[in-house]
Amino acid sequence: MRNTAIIGCGQTPHRARRRDVSVAELVSEAVSAALEDAGITMKDVDCIFSGNMQGFGGIAQPDLWLGDWIGAPGKPAIRIATGGTTGGSVAHGALYAVASGMYDIALAVAWEKHSDSKEAGATTGLAHVGMGNLFHALSYGLSLKNLIATTAVGAAAGVAVYQARFYMHRSGATIEHLDMVAAKDRRNAAKNPYAHLRWPNCQPEDIAKTEMIAYPFRYGHVCPASDGASCIVVAEEKLAKKLCKKPAWLLGLASYSDEENQLQSENYGGVGVLDPSEQMGCRVSAKKAYAMAGITDPQKEIDLAEIYQPFPSQELIFAERLGLFDDGTAWRYLEKGETDINGSMPTDLSGGVNATNAIGSSALQRVLECALQIMGKAGEHQAAKPVHKAIAHGWGGVTNYITVTILGDSPR
Amino acid sequence: MAKRVAIIGYAQSQHQYDVQKTREDLVFDVVRDAMKNAGILREDIGTVVTASTDFLDGRTISNVFLSMAVGAYLKDESKVEEDGTNALYYAMMKLVSGAYDVALVEAHTVGWQFNPHQVWALTTDPLVERQIGVVNDVSASALQARMYMQKYGVSEKDLAQIAVKSLQDASKNPNAQRKLPKVNVNQVLGSKKFCEPFTELMISPISDGCAVVILASEDKAKKLCEKPVWIQGIATYQDDYLRDRDLLSLTSLKKAAKKAYQMAKIKNPLRELGVAEVTARFAHEELMIYEALGLCKPGEGKNLISKGITKRNGKLPVNPSGGALAADPVCATGLVRVIEAVKQIKGEANGYQVPKVKRALAHGQWGICAQKNTVIILGGGK
Repeated sequence: MRNTAIIGCGQTPHRARRRDVSVAELVSEAVSAALEDAGITMKDVDCIFSGNMQGFGGIAQPDLWLGDWIGAPGKPAIRIATGGTTGGSVAHGALYAVASGMYDIALAVAWEKHSDSKEAGATTGLAHVGMGNLFHALSYGLSLKNLIATTAVGAAAGVAVYQARFYMHRSGATIEHLDMVAAKDRRNAAKNPYAHLRWPNCQPEDIAKTEMIAYPFRYGHVCPASDGASCIVVAEEKLAKKLCKKPAWLLGLASYSDEENQLQSENYGGVGVLDPSEQMGCRVSAKKAYAMAGITDPQKEIDLAEIYQPFPSQELIFAERLGLFDDGTAWRYLEKGETDINGSMPTDLSGGVNATNAIGSSALQRVLECALQIMGKAGEHQAAKPVHKAIAHGWGGVTNYITVTILGDSPR
Repeated sequence: MAKRVAIIGYAQSQHQYDVQKTREDLVFDVVRDAMKNAGILREDIGTVVTASTDFLDGRTISNVFLSMAVGAYLKDESKVEEDGTNALYYAMMKLVSGAYDVALVEAHTVGWQFNPHQVWALTTDPLVERQIGVVNDVSASALQARMYMQKYGVSEKDLAQIAVKSLQDASKNPNAQRKLPKVNVNQVLGSKKFCEPFTELMISPISDGCAVVILASEDKAKKLCEKPVWIQGIATYQDDYLRDRDLLSLTSLKKAAKKAYQMAKIKNPLRELGVAEVTARFAHEELMIYEALGLCKPGEGKNLISKGITKRNGKLPVNPSGGALAADPVCATGLVRVIEAVKQIKGEANGYQVPKVKRALAHGQWGICAQKNTVIILGGGK
């Protein structure tokens, strides 16, 4: 694998409704920003990887028509859509395209414009996940118990509730820890001009006052549905060194999937994953990416993490599964403030998905934010400590898809 | 390119309408066949890339249940949308990068679940064409066909001839769906009228199908396979959106062909290729594809048909499998073309084998009026 780096990052401000732009204009906003940041034009780009959640904007393969807004005609353009991990998968596409030597400069762009759907895109879109699961089960035969269990799952939030309960039971974390994570993320987001839910000086008590949605999640725990897009420019070693003062080098990447855990598990009397907080796919992905990056002790070698955490419990779970903390201990470090901006393992300094969720773009934003931290361009939310190696995480599917990307300040 | 990549195994389903299996079962059976064909186990596979779209699959994140069926459980995996040839391209990148040695590429569409023509309509600009409500793949292609026919003096009979060639050839292909060994021009012209000038038999049928290809990097391919088929050239390009494009020219296909030929060092495709398997969803597209691939000059595509040059026993047989007019499992169609090309090179196309095929071309497309095109040049030998 040849040396590859991220040399430009661009994103749009994330808001509940971007009525001033169409989805095509939104996407081109991010692309233009990334090209400007990299100091290149579309002419220099060899290929494009793009993606968003299908169905959320009500357009099939929107890249076909909005390609004209981002200069795709006349270029290789591949669309990737893997659900929540879409952004991470799109980033991997561009990274592999360059790392393979087949292209020198690649662009990865991902977006979501939830407000284009009549109902919240995530509601209708994810209802299809639930419905799909239902029909899947019906085709195999379904008992009443399983039918109720399926329909009660309620898409992402439903899965995350079960996951959080499993985690809390096993680790000893409490709902107060979830308040702390959410408050930290909202506080961090206040320092990130592109974030959606920005709440300066948000305290756990403020989150604790919000309404209970489904135990253990309060309203203040749940991510928003955002409009926004993000884009990175990836280049091979020579060009990266020429074009960029401090590129963010690719050290390792992997996306190992797990078995989906809704139906073939206990509900279905099957042999699938019983504990959605176990996350074997994440453990394996991290292991492979660390091996590629030559990292043997992530707890010491990783300086910063951007974790995909639409719900606060997931920041704790995935920090552990990525090997940043021992299993069941993440909340102890949280209590000590180690995941804060001036801590030893700053986590989601951008506010993360908990503060901003333009679903297709969310996992790409994690990669982008890690790159910004390494480049020293994060501005107000730049980590207090120097960032040499950072890990970006994406999560999707029925808690079974994972993308892990490790970036560093020097090449492999 | 630093590293070479070969195809070491393949399998496809019996393409049909109204398949009596779940999508997962359909895919699982083909994946198992492909591994058997390559003589490998799930443990040998490093990465898996699938191709399908949520709209055609009728659900969000449609690859969720596919992980187990394609054997991607606890493996590196991703899903490319659109045509299977794009998934192949992405898998190839992963292999060439050196991250993995063996990749499994899967593409499928179960057409009866969700009408593909409806999905094509949903790919149009939601602010303009979608509002007009009459633009879909059939109507847009009909306009394109009319433009082409008027400019180059092509008649409905010429289009029917293409359908006759494809559907007769398909009768020898065990995997094809629409097999009509005795079909003639009048029958094609007399079939149900869809959209002037298209009749039913000039349009690809709605199919349920799945295709799987197993790729390996050079060292691994030589170890695992006696007769690997090498990817000698590959290129993909996107064109302008429907409304801003000159529909008379498949510009992105021309570009893709040029680059793929360059990579494979092909100067005269008509002479150097043994077989071409192209994705023509409408009869007129086959003529336009001939021209974009450089098999003839613009407007001379019909001569290739009338002179029998692209017949199964012609100078350069095109679609001896019957092509997309005989079976069109949308996302899998491009990958089926790859498989058919591989079969011809390996001499495994029982019943419709073209003699002495050393090199073959496979073509995949996506978008209304073939907005995106991928060309792959395959070759046998060492």
